[in-house]
Amino acid sequence: MSDALLSVEGVSVRYGDFSAAESVSFSIERGHIVSLIGLNGAGKTTIVNTVMGLHKPESGRIVFKGEDITSLSTEKIVSRGLSLVPQGGRCFNRMSVQDNLLMGSYPRTARKKAKQTLEHVYELFPVLEEMKKRPAGTLSGGQRQMVAIGRALMACPDCLIFDEISLGLSPAVIKDIYNRIIKINREEKTSILLIEQDTKRALGASDSFCVMLKGRVVLSGSSSEIDPETLKKAYFGI
Amino acid sequence: MYFVQIIVNGILLGSVYALLGVGMTMIFGIVKLTNLAHGEFIVLGAYLATVLAPVLGVDPVVTLVITVPLMFLGGFLLQYFLIGRAMKKGNEPALLVTFGLSIILQDVMLMVFSADAQHIVASYSKSTVKLGSIEISVLHLVLFAISLISILSLTLFLRYTYIGRAIRATSDDSDAASLSGVNINKIYAVAMGIAMASAAVAGLCVGMKWTYYPSSGGSYLLIAFVVVVIGGMGSVPGTLAAGILFGLAQVIGGANYGLLISYVMLLIVLVVRPKGIFGK
Amino acid sequence: MAKKRLVKRNVRVLDSLPMLIVCIAVVAALYVACLTGLASNNAMRYMIQIFLYMTMGEMWNLLSGFTGMTSLGQQLYVGLAGYSVAVATTKLQLSLGIGLALGVAVSVVIALLLSLVLFRMQGMYFSIATWVVAEAFEKLFLSWKYVEQGSGMTIRVVPYPKISEICAASLTLCVVAVAVVYLLLRTRVGLGLTAMRDDITAASAVGVNIFAGKLLVYVIAAAFIAVAAGIFFVNKGIVYPESGFGIGWTVSMIFIVTIGGSGTVSGPIVGAAIYVFLQEFLAHYPGWSNIILGAITILVIFFLPKGIMGTLQEKLGFEIFSAKRFSFARHR
Repeated sequence: MSDALLSVEGVSVRYGDFSAAESVSFSIERGHIVSLIGLNGAGKTTIVNTVMGLHKPESGRIVFKGEDITSLSTEKIVSRGLSLVPQGGRCFNRMSVQDNLLMGSYPRTARKKAKQTLEHVYELFPVLEEMKKRPAGTLSGGQRQMVAIGRALMACPDCLIFDEISLGLSPAVIKDIYNRIIKINREEKTSILLIEQDTKRALGASDSFCVMLKGRVVLSGSSSEIDPETLKKAYFGI
Repeated sequence: MYFVQIIVNGILLGSVYALLGVGMTMIFGIVKLTNLAHGEFIVLGAYLATVLAPVLGVDPVVTLVITVPLMFLGGFLLQYFLIGRAMKKGNEPALLVTFGLSIILQDVMLMVFSADAQHIVASYSKSTVKLGSIEISVLHLVLFAISLISILSLTLFLRYTYIGRAIRATSDDSDAASLSGVNINKIYAVAMGIAMASAAVAGLCVGMKWTYYPSSGGSYLLIAFVVVVIGGMGSVPGTLAAGILFGLAQVIGGANYGLLISYVMLLIVLVVRPKGIFGK
Repeated sequence: MAKKRLVKRNVRVLDSLPMLIVCIAVVAALYVACLTGLASNNAMRYMIQIFLYMTMGEMWNLLSGFTGMTSLGQQLYVGLAGYSVAVATTKLQLSLGIGLALGVAVSVVIALLLSLVLFRMQGMYFSIATWVVAEAFEKLFLSWKYVEQGSGMTIRVVPYPKISEICAASLTLCVVAVAVVYLLLRTRVGLGLTAMRDDITAASAVGVNIFAGKLLVYVIAAAFIAVAAGIFFVNKGIVYPESGFGIGWTVSMIFIVTIGGSGTVSGPIVGAAIYVFLQEFLAHYPGWSNIILGAITILVIFFLPKGIMGTLQEKLGFEIFSAKRFSFARHR
């Protein structure tokens, strides 16, 4: 555990009387890709939002780069180097693609390198450079996901979290985006947390995995050691 | 020629009406709040200029150097410590807090400055220039320049600076903005600061053009509403266009009917395009 | 974890016979006090004010607190009623009763016409539009020769009613207003209205007829405010465009409802009494009245967000005049 970049330690979250997550623990090492797998309502997004400071946990703590960030506000967490690509690739629809990306470099630490990072993002997603003047609201779903990923990259994060990146996209686009995610991980040594429902895709891309069921982590291990079909049958009954 | 004269006056005055609406539209669009105290902010701006100009012995326009930062700070603190906290309790509580502020400010100004009519006089208040066969008041030109510069610099600020972009992003999707590292409460406070700074400028302009009282806030608020709703909430260029439309109605219709025309105009806009001409 | 159940709990105090008897007794006592001269003229002057403000507060609460139509323009009906009474009694030499009836008729007609425009808007657009309409009417009356433009109209009622009669009439109006709001909210229509306030899309999705519900409430509010305003101006003797159509009326209504408790039937009753006494008290401190009213509003929002009655009900667990048909309490 000494090498962990981000570790979630026994986090429980409640909404009123409803317990959304019960003592969830997992960690991500530097440069690794971890996938968090589970069905709708398993508590994956709750955990992610808690990590990002959008909810406060009832118990447990979250440690990032050796520092307890549990009680920090979202914007402080972001400026420490943790970025989330939220579900559905939420863009600022009335702003241009370029302005959307520049918003990503809002944390002071990222501003100096903004120009350089922007070029890099355009290299990674050439289509965004072609459309940089267009309002983000007029783009297709896949392109908007790219804008969201680009925006998260602009903050030069040490750890990137993708919340159900494949939701609502065509298989070809998903494959393309996954390739780019792996490329980001290889080239920048950015740690990545993938939140997924698609067991096969998630296991294929990640070094290790956690399975969540009804708010608890029920299984975790190395991705190469488990067969996606067995996992699916065992936990999700499909 | 009389016709051209009217159009020119309408446009020049219209820019001042737009200025009344700019602060309001920012708060509507970004903080998503109806600020019922905006009229009193404008009157406060007018009083500050009235008091400061003779004390410093400068042209009233120069007082902006002091009033704009001062009012910005006031707005920032007000939002950060008072209105922002009420917003956590819901929309209606926040609205009522601005309402409470509006009546408090009104009486404070009444006590401090008395109920007497006030007017800001500059050396060029009565002079005119001739352009061909039309005569234009220098005052109107000055007001036009002030309004245009303010609105333009606000637009540029919103478009090209980090904070400006963060303000636009917050108005688009505040959760996503906070995930980009934006402190939403601070951005709201900056927006209120800008709104109040714009009220300082607007106050100077209305004070130079018309006489005003501590109780004038209500009518300025109403003009601001009309301009903002016609222009589309949150749209700065829309506010400018609507202000000019409003100015033309005032000049063509005269004091009473001018307002009546604009109210009817507003109701028609609301029925035909419920989100304003430039609204989305 | 404890099992959670929703249990029906009886908290509707008015439904209990003793409370109903107390209410009737209080109202009867007030009538006796007015009509037998037991209350001094001075006391009756306060009572008239309180009853009229209660009526208006109750109506604004019906609009905003229960239906979610936050109108900033109810002064429109105050002005229309004031001028109707003035025109009927002074210009046309008709009786006061006809004057008041005219006020209601004019208000209802205007409310019906305006509903076509106003109900196309929601939220703050609706609030602004209502205010703008009231201002437009003020401008209209300021330049209308028949109603003496800006110099206002005096109201001469012959024979002038005794103060005890005005007081009894105000009390009647106030009782009817509370009863109407109470009964309206407990019908199916009322349930639909509260649903509408909470979520307009969901309400229409389950088949609440939004337009009809809003129209009913808006017209009822216009009519009651018109009667209250008519009585007010008879007492006052003169009406100006500024005094009739001024935003100050809405300011009072908002204050009364906020401190009493928005969304409670009993709130405006308490709020109106506080408001009238506070006004009287503040008259000794000229210049400070709005500062204190404003400060109280802000403090109430921060510390008693549900108003006096709303907070009391929550703390004590009962409601006077509950508008709910059912009340649920959570048991662990």
